Order: sequence, then structure tokens, then C-alpha cells
Amino acid sequence: MEIKISTFDALLSRVTKPARYIDGEWNAVHKDTASARARFALVYPDVYEVGMSHLGLQILYHVLNSAPDFAAERAFAPWPDMEEELRSRDLPLTSLESRTPLREFDAIGITLPYELTYTNVLNVLDLAGIPVRASERGADDPIVIGGGPGAANPEPMADFFDAILVGEGEEAIVEMAEAVAEAERHEALERLAEIPGVYVPCLYEVSYEGGGPRASVTPRDGAPQVIERRIVEDLDAAPFPTEQIVPFLDTVHARGTLEIMRGCARGCRFCQAGATYRPRRERRVETLLRQAEETLASTGYDEISLLAFTSVDYREIQELAKQLVDRFGERGIGLALPSLRADAFSIALANTIQRVRKTGLTFAPEAGTARLRRAIGKQMGEDELFAAAEAAFSSGWTRLKLYFMIGLPTETDDDVAAIGDLVQRVVQFGRGVLGSRRSRLQIAVSAATFVPKPHTPFQWGGQDGREDLERKHAILQRALRGRHIKLSWTDPGTSALEAAVSRGDRRVGGAIEAAWRGGARFDSWGEHFDFGRWEQAFRGAALSMADYANSYLDYDAPLAWEHVSCGPERSALREEAERAITGGKL
Amino acid sequence: MAQFICRYRKGEQVRWISHLDLKRTLERALRRGGLPLELTKGYNPRPRLSFGPPLPLGATGDGELLAVHLSEPVEADELKQRLNRQLPSGLEVLEVWRVPAHQKRETFGQVDVAEYRIIVSNGLDEEELSSRVSDLMRSETLPVQRGGRRPEREVDLRPLIMGLEVSRTKAHEIELRARLKTGSHGGARPQELASLLHLDEGDRLVRYHRTGLYASAEPSKQRRGGLGRRWRRARSRRERSTES
Repeated sequence: MEIKISTFDALLSRVTKPARYIDGEWNAVHKDTASARARFALVYPDVYEVGMSHLGLQILYHVLNSAPDFAAERAFAPWPDMEEELRSRDLPLTSLESRTPLREFDAIGITLPYELTYTNVLNVLDLAGIPVRASERGADDPIVIGGGPGAANPEPMADFFDAILVGEGEEAIVEMAEAVAEAERHEALERLAEIPGVYVPCLYEVSYEGGGPRASVTPRDGAPQVIERRIVEDLDAAPFPTEQIVPFLDTVHARGTLEIMRGCARGCRFCQAGATYRPRRERRVETLLRQAEETLASTGYDEISLLAFTSVDYREIQELAKQLVDRFGERGIGLALPSLRADAFSIALANTIQRVRKTGLTFAPEAGTARLRRAIGKQMGEDELFAAAEAAFSSGWTRLKLYFMIGLPTETDDDVAAIGDLVQRVVQFGRGVLGSRRSRLQIAVSAATFVPKPHTPFQWGGQDGREDLERKHAILQRALRGRHIKLSWTDPGTSALEAAVSRGDRRVGGAIEAAWRGGARFDSWGEHFDFGRWEQAFRGAALSMADYANSYLDYDAPLAWEHVSCGPERSALREEAERAITGGKL
Repeated sequence: MAQFICRYRKGEQVRWISHLDLKRTLERALRRGGLPLELTKGYNPRPRLSFGPPLPLGATGDGELLAVHLSEPVEADELKQRLNRQLPSGLEVLEVWRVPAHQKRETFGQVDVAEYRIIVSNGLDEEELSSRVSDLMRSETLPVQRGGRRPEREVDLRPLIMGLEVSRTKAHEIELRARLKTGSHGGARPQELASLLHLDEGDRLVRYHRTGLYASAEPSKQRRGGLGRRWRRARSRRERSTES
């Protein structure tokens, strides 16, 4: 057998998890790209294992590669050890499939999953040898297109993208590929701007009206006044990849995925996804059964997961679950319902269908008092929670995760203390139901920080400052002692950055660039996050992080993201906000 | 109920995937092939598979071993073909044979010898390496440290090295053939040998390829289709083919 030694192998021998950088996974597509009219590199700005668990990437990969004229390959953010190897040898970042340098593609499509990945976006562009600022790119550079949840407020990243798609991508990506295919850079941008949902930032001007995100964005050169988000009307008919790529590495979700439903019918006032993915759309049971059959046959997975914001809200969930179990149960195929609701129905359902892996169950009461739950629009009563807990404990679960949010608008210290009380009552209740097995009872309490998100009724609300958060964490810590309880919370620094970027305007892009130049990478990974570096970056850009993160905004002030329409009108959001705080201001 | 043993290749394209990842990959390929896998009982049924000793990350091999249990018998050749159609490039089943029903579950516990080709590129003198090798073989003990960041422990490599042979294969490459003890009762890692011989220093690149896994012990009883005999046969066939 011939044994070859290559430079790329020498690189791989020096990094952790080298399988992050190879391709050849089952169902990866190797298309002859020479004949493709437009070649896309699809990038997820986090490490391979995280990016490969993202369904959106697989959908777009499938759509582009199914089109005879287009081709797509993948790339991910290299881990810092690989980055160092690449930089020290002056090697460019390449795609996985054909190991083509990213700058040789016609377009780079980058997902914007959430704020803490944004420095990785800049790093990927830089490692590819593409100028990070769109204004500095030339005719030979690829067109850099963004999309995903972060597009709901494109402003903080607007200077780094040639175009950003607002909304769902499976239909628009083909139109965008068409625009990229034939035209020269300048003309391609003009064509992109004509596609509904596509925002071409360089065609807009920003005027600032004070600190924080009080800004308005207006078009030049006949670009649309308002960018309407794209949505797929008929989810059942929308393209879905049943030939899902099967990673060698153990990814976050190593299983087949069925997207049973998109959007959420509940109206939690803090939730951006609930607002921007409306309306709720479902796939038909027959379609899903066929897709399940195809996915399992083409991947060899032993588990299939039903993806939805709340899978039990799917109208025919019982029928679907029963059919899936009947068909695949005997073959040893498990079924996962990652998003259960805290009610007895959910548990009964989980109980009958899940191949019984009683590892953990997650409920999200979000707040400790009925008043605050009402204010945030969380439709969950305490009775329901206890009924769900009883059903769970009596059918064998001993571990529960409870998700709460700290710093919600109108929250008082009493509301925080009430979380402790509620959890302690769940513990007492659980001990009673579990009887002799009570020593196994474990309640993991997670306290995330409220982040005000654009296009939600709470977009005008401010995040608690560090002092308030630390006081509230201390209240929780005192109230949540006990051997059955494990408490965790989000780092206040991370939360402040999320909030500042979430409500950021274009100027915040300058701070993001400065933080990246100062070494920020993988900010969602605790070991890499450095709040001091971010404070310095905001100061350097002459911005106050608090203006963006903590300030309450006036209902009448212009907001930096109002040229993007994600569904609900400003007046409707305001009404909701006022309903949350009867008679008051957020 | 039928048990099969597969000898397979882990080649260039997959040499950077870990043993754990490889296990999952083979399991999924078997499932895609629609083979009637026998599942374990219990809440979390898994297919009954056994694997030979893991290859080090970055190494290739073409004498790798896998035991598969099927709930219904199929022809050995059919198993080979169905599995090969589902394997990512770099993985290939080279040989499959069925183990008689009365024989107990194969776990490759007897495998205790591995043969490696260690290929070194970039300017290493053949004579220099040969003299290093003879020095090494004359040593009474060869202590190496193990355990990474945890408290280190010392292992004597000398009794685990059974044979070494140097040859020049190409102008810029030297090859070292090594016969090493392996398995759960203690073994030598080829990288440890390479660093004892200072093969991996400077800008030199070292590649490891495992050519075979063997059981040195004579089977206590002469069993029909016993593993030891079969491996030896597979091995001699391969050696004949490489010689020709």
C-alpha cells in the first residue's frame, strides 16, 4: 500500500480533534464545481461539532447542491490551535470538501446564529484572506452574504456583509445564487437588493439620534424602504434534506432530524424566535413519515429527533409519535422530543413513546411568581408545573431541569426569591412522590439573564446592570441550597455583551471589529471570553455598552432595526409591552 | 444468530478519526446496509459489535478487526458487499468469515501482537537509523513516561518490542518495520518507539501503518475455524501478495 505524507496531514497531527477539518463524511456532496454557475462556501461561525448540528446549514447545502447550476461546500471556524497553525504557515482557510481557499468561491454564506459568534465571522473572513469590511472588497473578492436569526437586527454586522437575508433562506438562496452567478460585483449587489428580504447595507444611510440604538436607517438609490422578512409559505412542500451529512465526530445532536413545525403559537414577550418565525406552520404526518424513512435509510442513525419550538404543540403529535414508534421501534430506533412543555400531557406522551432514556427533562417556568409569568406572557400555571412534575416523577424520571430568567422587566427581588420558594416546593413534592428513590432526585436550576431583543415587546426594556444581577444571583444562591439542587447562571459580562450587540447599531460593528483585533474569538466558550477586552473595545469606539444593554428606550425613539420588518408592527409591540406593565412604561 | 469477523482497512481519508468515531461510523454503515443486526436487550438496545485494538490517531491499517452479530445468517460475501457499499471512502472490508455457531462471542482478547510500518520522510540516514535500532535492541530496559498531564507512570518498552527492521523504500523515505506487543495486557505504542529513536524530530514527518494484528499464543485446543489459525492464514496470504 502506498503511504503518502502531505503538509495538510502535518497540520492535522498538531491540532486537537483533527476530524474537524477533514471531509468525507457520509452524504457530504462532492460536486464537479467547474461547471457550476455559482459556487458557495457555507460557513457556520463556530467549531465543526456545533455547526454540524445546525439544521439550517444542512438545508441550504442540500438546496444549492440539488440545483444543477450551483454548488456548495462547507467551512467552520477553526479552533484557536488550528488558527495558529494556519497563520504561522500563512495558509488560507479552505472549504472541507475540495479544500478550496474560501476566497476562490463566488459567494460566502455565513450564518449569524447569535451575538457571541460575531467575532468568529470576522476571523473566518480574515483567515480566508477576504477584507473584513465590505467597503474594502474588490471585484475579485467573493460576495459575503449573511443570514439566520441575527439578521433580525443586521446593523452590528452590516459593515462586514455585502448582503444579509432577513428571514428563512431555503427559497431565497436560489434567487441569491442566480444574482451572484452572472453579474460583476457591483451589478450583483444591485440585483441582490431587488430580491425580497435581502438587505444590502451599502445602499443605506444611518443617522444617529443620541446614544444607544436610537438611529434610523434610510435607503439611497431606490433600495427598498423596508426589508420584509422572507418566510416559507408551505412548509410541507419546502425542501428538506433527508440525506443529512453524518459527521464522524460526535456532534451536539448526533441523530436524524425531522422539522415537524416552524414557528410558535405562544406569545412570550421576551422571545425573538417566537416573533420572527411566525406564523406557526406544520408538516403533514405522511410527509414526516416518509422523511423519517428516508433519513434513517440514508444516515444509519439510531435516533430521530422531532424539531420544533414546542413539539407537543404540533397538532397531530400523538398520531405522529405512535406511527413512528410502530414503524421504527422494533429496529431499535429511538425517538427524541427535545422541546417538551411542562404539562401532564407532555409527560404522558414522552412516557409512551420515548425509548426510555430517563436522563433528564426540561421545563421552563421562566419566572417565580404568577404575576411575573403573566407579565412576560408565559402561559404556564403552577398547577400545570406540579402536575407535570408528578407525572414525571411517578413514571421514573428523577432529574428535572428548570429554566428561569433573571432581570425581566418589572421583576423585583421578591420575584427572584419566589424562584427559590417554587424550586424548594418542587423538591419537597418530588421527595414525596419518589419515596424510597428520593435520594436520586436532582433539580438543575438554570438562571439565564434577560436580553432585550429587537422585534419583541420587550425590545424597549433594559437589561439589569452587573450590580443588580449579582444581587439577584446572591438571593438565588441563598434560597437554593440543598443536596437535590444544582444552580447555574449566565455570566453577567456575557449577558451584557449579548444585550449590547443584540440592540446594536452600525457603530457597534466598530467595537466588534476592535474586540476581534484585540484577540476575541469563540466568545460563547467561557474559557475564551474576556469581558475586559470588550469593555475596552466599546470605549475605543467611543460607545457606552450600557446605552445599548441597560437603557430603557423611549417608545417614540427611532430604533436601529426598524428598516427590517419581522412581522409585528411597532404599534402592536407597544400595545403588548403596555399590556405587560398595565398602565406603566417598560 | 450468526457471528462474522471482518478484516478491514482504515485508510488515508479516515486516519484522523478516533476509535470511538470509527465505531459509530461502522455501526451506522451496518444499519444503512439494512443488515439484520442483533441488538442487546434492555432499554437502550445496541448492536453487538466487537472491535480489535484501536489504531493510534493518524495511523492507517489494513489488518483491522471487527466482529458482527446478526440475528439471521447471510453469506459472508454478501455481508462484505453490503457493508462496503455503505462505507465512507477510506474504509473498506477486505475479508469476512463466519465463525461457527458453537464458538463463543469474539472479543479479540487474544490479540497481542501488532505489526507496523513506520515511514519517515525528510533526510534520515539509513545507517544512522540501523545503528540506533541495534542500540535500542541491545538495551536491557527502555523506560518511557505515560499518563499525559496526570501523575506520570513509567513503562518499560523493551519487552514489548519483539522485532525491528530498517529498509529504504524511496529516495526521501525510510521504513521501519516493527513488531510490537499490543492489547489489554500492555503494549507499546508506535509513537513511543518513534520518539525513542528520535524519528519525529525537526521537520521530519512520520506515518504509521498497521499491517496486521495477531494472536501469539497457540490455541489451547485445536478449534475448527479458530481465530489464531484464520489470522495466520490471512496474514500469510497477504505476505505472499506483497512479496510477489
